Amino acid sequence: MGLDINVRDDDGWRIIEVQGEVDLNSSPELRAAIMKEVEANRKVGVDLSGARYMDSSGVATLVEGFKTAAKDGFALIRPSNAVMRVLQLSRLDTLFDIRDKPSGG
Amino acid sequence: MNRQDIVLEVAADPRLLSSVRELVRAYLSAAGFPSDRVDELVLGVDEACTNAIRHGCVGQSEDTFRVVLRTVEDWIEIQLEDSGEPVPAEVFERAGAPPEHDADNLRPGGLGVHLIHEVFDEVEFCPGLTEGNCVTMKLKRPRRNRE
Repeated sequence: MGLDINVRDDDGWRIIEVQGEVDLNSSPELRAAIMKEVEANRKVGVDLSGARYMDSSGVATLVEGFKTAAKDGFALIRPSNAVMRVLQLSRLDTLFDIRDKPSGG
Repeated sequence: MNRQDIVLEVAADPRLLSSVRELVRAYLSAAGFPSDRVDELVLGVDEACTNAIRHGCVGQSEDTFRVVLRTVEDWIEIQLEDSGEPVPAEVFERAGAPPEHDADNLRPGGLGVHLIHEVFDEVEFCPGLTEGNCVTMKLKRPRRNRE
């Protein structure tokens, strides 16, 4: 249970790997990890393939990262079904740059 | 008066949300909802709990909120009760309006209320006269599981 966050480099991007559940309790940790990289002007990919759960506080965290990052410098990598569903229900699924890997499609 | 199946009194501590989600998941799965549907319903209940912690129990760690689960004829009802400042009903309704595709207008609290309206068949919000709020989220039971 809970949340695990790992950060690695890939092809000029900082990849923030999210494993576990993002909710009111854990989203501040995700927010801190995202904002640290975004505010250092790095290109950030948030790998959400292992995010089993995400609530509106997680969605708000992703939106804040997207808004703060440079244009074309913030992507969601392979979001899980749970993440895609909450983005769809939030009508924000078309807002984000969603990719299979940082470079290319 | 209908029987309450489960009444939970939960401290206003975000660390407890995952436990509440697991219990709600088990209750809705047993009621016969398919797993994809259970996932989004659990999200809706979690959003209501999050709002109870954020707005209903302002900064008092000894505060609690209640989650009541019951089956009433063809409906499943999940009720959240907090003891915070009553929120005017029109504020709750307005918060539930769909967010624009415009990230600049995103309000995190409002997004939670929108998600609750999105996943449940009916939502009733009743602020108390002097204190507390109550939101009842209703679901038609899957046909094959009705008695």
